[in-house]
Amino acid sequence: MNSSSTITTSTHFHSSSSCTKILRKRYDNYETRHSALKFNAENEKNKFLILSLKSIKNYGFSPKSPSKLHARNPSLPAEVEFERPLETDGLVVADKLQLLVLEFKSLDEPLDRVKRLLHYAAILPPYDESARVAENRVVGCATQVWLEVEMDDLGRMRFRADSDSEISKGFCSCLIWMLDGAKPEEVSEMRAEDLEHVNVGLYVKANSRVNTWQNVLISMQKRTKALVMERGGKNPPLLEPLPSLIVNHGSSAEAQGCLFPTRLVLPELQTFDERQSLMSK
Amino acid sequence: MMMQVAMALKPPSFRILRKNPQRFRTSPTRIRYASLSVWASTESLADPPPSLFLGYSTRTDFPILHQEVNGSKLIYLDNAATSQKPSAVLKAIQYYYESYNSNVHRGIHYLSARATEEYELARKKVASFINASDSREIIFTRNATEAINLFALSWGLQNLKQGDEVILTVAEHHSVIAPMLDTAKKTGAVLKYVSLNEDGVPDVNMFKQLMSTKTKLVIVHHVSNMLGSALPIEDVVVWAHDVGAIVLVDACQSVPHMVVDVQKINADFLVASSHKMCGPTGIGFLYGKYHHLSAMPPVLGGGEMVADVFLDHYTYADPPSRFEAGTPAIGEAIGLGAAIDYLSGIGMQRIHDYEVELAKYLYESLGTVPGIRIYGPAPSENVYRAALCSFNVENIHPTDIATFLDQQHGVAIRSGHHCAQPLHRVLDVNASARASLYFYNTREEIDNFIHALNDTVSFFNSFK
Repeated sequence: MNSSSTITTSTHFHSSSSCTKILRKRYDNYETRHSALKFNAENEKNKFLILSLKSIKNYGFSPKSPSKLHARNPSLPAEVEFERPLETDGLVVADKLQLLVLEFKSLDEPLDRVKRLLHYAAILPPYDESARVAENRVVGCATQVWLEVEMDDLGRMRFRADSDSEISKGFCSCLIWMLDGAKPEEVSEMRAEDLEHVNVGLYVKANSRVNTWQNVLISMQKRTKALVMERGGKNPPLLEPLPSLIVNHGSSAEAQGCLFPTRLVLPELQTFDERQSLMSK
Repeated sequence: MMMQVAMALKPPSFRILRKNPQRFRTSPTRIRYASLSVWASTESLADPPPSLFLGYSTRTDFPILHQEVNGSKLIYLDNAATSQKPSAVLKAIQYYYESYNSNVHRGIHYLSARATEEYELARKKVASFINASDSREIIFTRNATEAINLFALSWGLQNLKQGDEVILTVAEHHSVIAPMLDTAKKTGAVLKYVSLNEDGVPDVNMFKQLMSTKTKLVIVHHVSNMLGSALPIEDVVVWAHDVGAIVLVDACQSVPHMVVDVQKINADFLVASSHKMCGPTGIGFLYGKYHHLSAMPPVLGGGEMVADVFLDHYTYADPPSRFEAGTPAIGEAIGLGAAIDYLSGIGMQRIHDYEVELAKYLYESLGTVPGIRIYGPAPSENVYRAALCSFNVENIHPTDIATFLDQQHGVAIRSGHHCAQPLHRVLDVNASARASLYFYNTREEIDNFIHALNDTVSFFNSFK
């Protein structure tokens, strides 16, 4: 199994988009080869972008920006990333979101989308068993997800996550690929609806208590907000007052419902289409 | 062999036979013989079990079952979560809104009188369905959860005191455990849990060990929504009454699937929900012996539950009105009444017999899947098992299994803790998958489900 970074581009890029031009330029610098992963061969027909993130495990932050979390940014090979700060790598969260959506949109077959998600699950770095604690749980009714959130010295958000479900782990892997290293406001701007086209498992639009996408994303956003407030000298808000509500009666019982709190009051959000439109100007 | 039998049972003529549910209700034997003649003409086999036909003969009553999901023919195996609704129920609800929608117990006009009559008729149908002696013993609630909460807030707070003991099992649904934890906290009562025995089912002997004069309440399931096991509920009631305790039975998984006779069981209270028995969501009921109900205070104040209201006080009405403050779910109650008509037309004993066969077939078929662990008892002549199986497959998360089954095979099963987290902790798992059947499921569907599950297991194992 080849473990180096593998990014395959095709000729189907929309050349009119300045965003994709930038991305293409960036990717042209990377080594291009077919992934050894088995699913790649199955999607030749409409494959226009396959990001193989196999080398995530090797990535790490520059020693200049130490973080307790083992940072990684799968968009960049380790040797490149090591030399430059994330802000200048050109791949902002909106770009990554667009890439991810394009990638999954290109997969017509549900089976291929599941396979792709499992691939992303497989490349999520091993999670420290000791971090699988109740405080890190993202409460969902169907699977267990653990999430660690930190802000590094440069004010960027760092995420680690894991799940006992491979599909949920795939969701986490995608979210981390997009949001690890992002600015807090970028984390806040992400909307679960934007991930609709990934379309694996539960439909992302569904505001359900078993919607892992939404559970993890909201948890990332809430904890980001708390860290921002903490760094700003303000008292952080009570984290996850509803989903992780624990009612103690001597013996403890977790509340049955995993209710979603009202969305955080965030800066005016742009829709994906608006962002696309802005990017192409 | 079973596959062949199943295929032989699918001639279109069955659909014609079941086109008119009313005809079926009034003349079930006619259908039975008609079915047999089809069997005989296609397979030339003598005297197959008539109940084998039930799945095929009733499917046409459920429009929702005849659709494709994610490109595959839908196989709906999540009936323990909620059942599907036959056309007769859908029509009854539509007819109510089209013809006589009006508030109940309010107006003297025609529509209100008619709505009131039908609403109260639904109460009588529920009473008759579970053989309550008096329809005033049926309180309509939003669902079984609300029924248990009503009981806990009314009877529980009024009667439980510091040091009193309440007996439950570790297999109870959250809708039992959570309200009882709240009640225990408020009253100082102590909750005592019956654990599982070595066979993985609630240890019946523990009931006797736990019961004492301190025991004031036994609140337990009839059929477990996760294990598929049934408690010897009549014995439990006798033991409880012997020590002066009362019993509430959570019958959500039994009332839709078998004959439940509250007078025979002799439970003091019993709850069930409409949506698990072919009725609409938004309505369930609390059955209570009338002398208990009439001694209980209301939980909600408002219209309908009062006798007289003054500016400084009010008196409340008798049960059931006392517990039904505000405009009730009229259309839903009428829909539940139609569901009971439908089920009664088939016959609950017939449904039960058919499901016992299906349960055995499901259990045995699932057992062939490599790496599978099925929770609960193995069905046999002496051991009842409901037509549901919670299971885990080695090294694959049940939610991943459920996702793949849905996306690739159109099979709808449940995954998660099925609102029974304590039980899952006892079993040392975080979650499980659950396939749960109803009388409109067929052996052919089980075969297809097993095939899909094997494919799912192979898929995930190929990634390891």
